[in-house]
Amino acid sequence: MKGIAHFISGVTVASFCPWAVEAAQNGNPAFFILGAVAGILPDTIDFKFYRFFYHHEVSVEPNPSQLDPQLIADAVAAAIAEAVATGCPVCVKLATIRIGADNWRQYRVKIDPDAGEVRVQFGPVVSTGQVPQPGTLPATRPVGLAKLSVPILQSYEPIYTIDIFDGPSFKFTRNEAGQVEIDFLPWHRNWSHSLTFGLLLAGLTSLWTWQAGVVVFGAHVLHVIEDQMGHMGTNLLPPFTKKRMPGLKIMHSGDAFPNFGCVWLCCLLIFWNLYAAIPEPLYHFSFIRLMLYTMIIPFSVFGVVRWLLVRADKGHPETLSTEWNI
Amino acid sequence: MISAMAAVLAGTVLACFLAILPGLHIYNVMGLAALFLYSLHGGGLAAMPEVYIPFMLGLVTGWSVLNTIPSVLLGAPDESAIFTVLPGQKYLMIGRGYEGTMMIGAGSLAGVFMLVFLIGPFAPKFLPVVRYVFNPHMHWILWVVIAFILMTEWPKGGNRGPAGWSKFFDAWSTLGAGLLTFFLSGLLGFLLLYRPLVSVDDAFQNIMPAFVGLFAIPWCLINAISGTEVPKQYVCDTLNINGDLLLRSSIAGGIGGGFAAFFPVITGGIGGLLAGHATAQRDERIFMMSQGVSKVVYYTGALMLFFAPGLFLTRGGGALIIKGLYTPHTWGDYYLALGSIALSGAVSFLLMSPLTKWTLKLIKVVDYRHISIFSLGIIIALVFVITGWVGLFIMTVATGIGLIPVLFGSRRLNCLGVLLLPIACNMSGVGEPIAAFLGLLK
Repeated sequence: MKGIAHFISGVTVASFCPWAVEAAQNGNPAFFILGAVAGILPDTIDFKFYRFFYHHEVSVEPNPSQLDPQLIADAVAAAIAEAVATGCPVCVKLATIRIGADNWRQYRVKIDPDAGEVRVQFGPVVSTGQVPQPGTLPATRPVGLAKLSVPILQSYEPIYTIDIFDGPSFKFTRNEAGQVEIDFLPWHRNWSHSLTFGLLLAGLTSLWTWQAGVVVFGAHVLHVIEDQMGHMGTNLLPPFTKKRMPGLKIMHSGDAFPNFGCVWLCCLLIFWNLYAAIPEPLYHFSFIRLMLYTMIIPFSVFGVVRWLLVRADKGHPETLSTEWNI
Repeated sequence: MISAMAAVLAGTVLACFLAILPGLHIYNVMGLAALFLYSLHGGGLAAMPEVYIPFMLGLVTGWSVLNTIPSVLLGAPDESAIFTVLPGQKYLMIGRGYEGTMMIGAGSLAGVFMLVFLIGPFAPKFLPVVRYVFNPHMHWILWVVIAFILMTEWPKGGNRGPAGWSKFFDAWSTLGAGLLTFFLSGLLGFLLLYRPLVSVDDAFQNIMPAFVGLFAIPWCLINAISGTEVPKQYVCDTLNINGDLLLRSSIAGGIGGGFAAFFPVITGGIGGLLAGHATAQRDERIFMMSQGVSKVVYYTGALMLFFAPGLFLTRGGGALIIKGLYTPHTWGDYYLALGSIALSGAVSFLLMSPLTKWTLKLIKVVDYRHISIFSLGIIIALVFVITGWVGLFIMTVATGIGLIPVLFGSRRLNCLGVLLLPIACNMSGVGEPIAAFLGLLK
C-alpha cells in the first residue's frame, strides 16, 4: 500500500487505545504521532536508509542515446548464469534512464520462467507521475532476447517496468534443486517489515511507557498485514525465516481504489473512536449509521455515477497504458 | 437582490484584475477593503452587509478561480497553487498553456459545483458534529500532518554508484534541504508570531511578506534568471477530458480542499498533497483538475462555512476579516453566500478563457523574462506599500529560505513550517516555552 495508507493506519491503531485518546484530550499528541511514525517507518527505513547501503554485484545502466534492449537482456542472463556457476547470490540493479527534469525513458524486462528467457523492450518517455508522453515511443521497438540455461523460480510477477527515480534490483540465488530463485527488491520488505523488528521497536518504546510499545507494535503489525495483501509479501520472522512469505495477491500497492478505501475507512474509524471516548456526547448516532452515511452510500453513488459516465464515454475507463509486445 | 448580484459581479470583475497581478493575495485586498469600511463607519457612514458580503464573496471566489492564470502562465504561484505550477508550466513549455490553464479552470468550476450543490446542503447538518468530535483533537491532527509532510518526501538522488555513505548523502541532500527549510521557516514563524515586526495598524498583513518571500519571489527569480523561452502557444477548441476524469478529480480535490477548509492552519497546498497521496491518481490531467477543485473548495469553502448555520466556522483570513465586520446568524445569510459563490464561480469560469488568451498574447509580445522581472517588481512594490521597509526585510529573509527547496529540488511545501510549527507548538502548549528559549519573550 502507499505511504499515506500505512501512515493513517498507524494513527488509527493509536485511536483504538483509550490511553492515547485520553492523553490527546489532555493536550499530549505523543501516542498519535508515535502511531503515525511507526505505521510508515518500515518503508522509511527501506527507501530512505537501507537501500543506499545494499550492495549490487551488477549494475545495468542503459545508454539514453543508444537504446539497445539486447545489452540489458544479455546482462540479466549473464547474472543468472553467474549465480548458477558460482553458487553465490548475484544482485543486479537495473538503472532508470533520466532524460530531463521530469522525464524518464520507460523500459520493461520480462523474465519468463516458462519460455526460459529474458525479454527487454523500450517504451515511451514518461513523466515522474509515470504518465506516458504523447509521441515518444521509439520509431522501432526491437525486443532484446536472451535464453536462460536453468529453470527459474519467480516469487513476484514476471514483468518489471523500469521508469522513475531508482530502478529495481533483483537477487538471483541458486537453490538446492538447481533452480534460480528471483528475489525482487531484496532490500525491501525484509527485516524492517518483520514481526521480530516490530517487537524490537515496541520493546524500545516501552522503555518510555508500555502503552507506547503497544501503539508502536500495533501500527507496525498493521503495516505488515496491509503489505501482505499485495504480491511481494514480507519476511515475517527473521532471523528465524530467511525468505519473504508470498503475499495474498489481492491488490497492487499503487492501486487507487484500495488505497483510498483504506485511508477513508481509517478516517472514519478514528472519528468513531474519538466520538466513543466522549463521556456524554451531545449528538447520538450508531456505528452502522456512520458507516452508512459516510462510506456505503457515498461509495455506491460514486460507483453508479462513474459507471454512467464511463458508459456515456464509449464504455471504457480511460487508462494510461502503453502497447507492449514483450 | 439586484444590489447583491451587482456586488457579486463587481467583486468578481475586480478579482479578474487582481488575480492577474502575480503575488497579490486576495486576503490582503480584503483587509484593505475592511479598513475602508471601518473608515466609512468612523465617518458616520455605513455600507450594507447585503452589499459588501456578496462583494467579498465575489472577490474570493473570482480570485480562487482565476489566480490559476498567473500561477501557470506567469510562474508566480501562491501557496495553494504551488502544485499546479509544475505540470501547468510543463503544458506551457509544450505550447499547451491554454489547455493546461483551462483544465485547472474546469476543475475550479467543478469545485464551485461541489460547494454549492454537494457540500452546501449537507454542511449545516453534518459538519457541526464533526467539529464537536474533532475540536479537542486539533493539535495532534496538526502534528500528524507535520509528520506526514516531513516523512513522505522522496529522496531524489542516490540512484547511481556503489552502495555506501556517498550514495546515502547524495539522496539525503534533498531530504536534508527539506528538513532545513521546514525548521528555518518555522523559526521565522515563531519570530513573526511572538515579535511582530509589522506595525500594529498593519497587523493583519503580518504574515504576507513572509508568504510572498517563501513562495512567489523564488519562482519569479528563477524564471527571470533562467531566461525561459516560451514556445508558440496553441489555443484548442476542446479539452482532452471526460466525465470520469472530472469525477475523479472532483473527489480528490474536494477532499483535499475540504480538509484544508475545515481544519485550522491546514492550507490548500497541504490539502492537495494529502488528497493526491490518498487518492493515488497518476494522470496529470486529474492531478491538475483536482488542484483546481482543491483551491476553490479551500478558499471559497472556508468562507462558505463561516456562514453555515450551526457551524459559523472561522477558518482562513477571509472569514477572519469578515468576522470583524459582520456576524452571520440566519439561513438567509447562508443562502446569500451560496448564491454569491454560484454566480461568481460561473462568471469567473466564463472569464477564464478570454483572460487566458489575453495573457498568452502578452507572453507572445513581451519577453517571458521581462514579465518575470515585472511580476517581481509588482510583488516587491506591493509588499513595500502594505508593510513598509520592515516588510521588505521579512520578505528578503523569507526569500532566502524559499530558495532552498528551489535550489535543492526538495518539496516547497516545507516552507509552510512558517505557520505549522509555531501554531502546532502553541496548540500543544509548548509554544511559549520555546519562544522563551529563543529569547522572543523578553
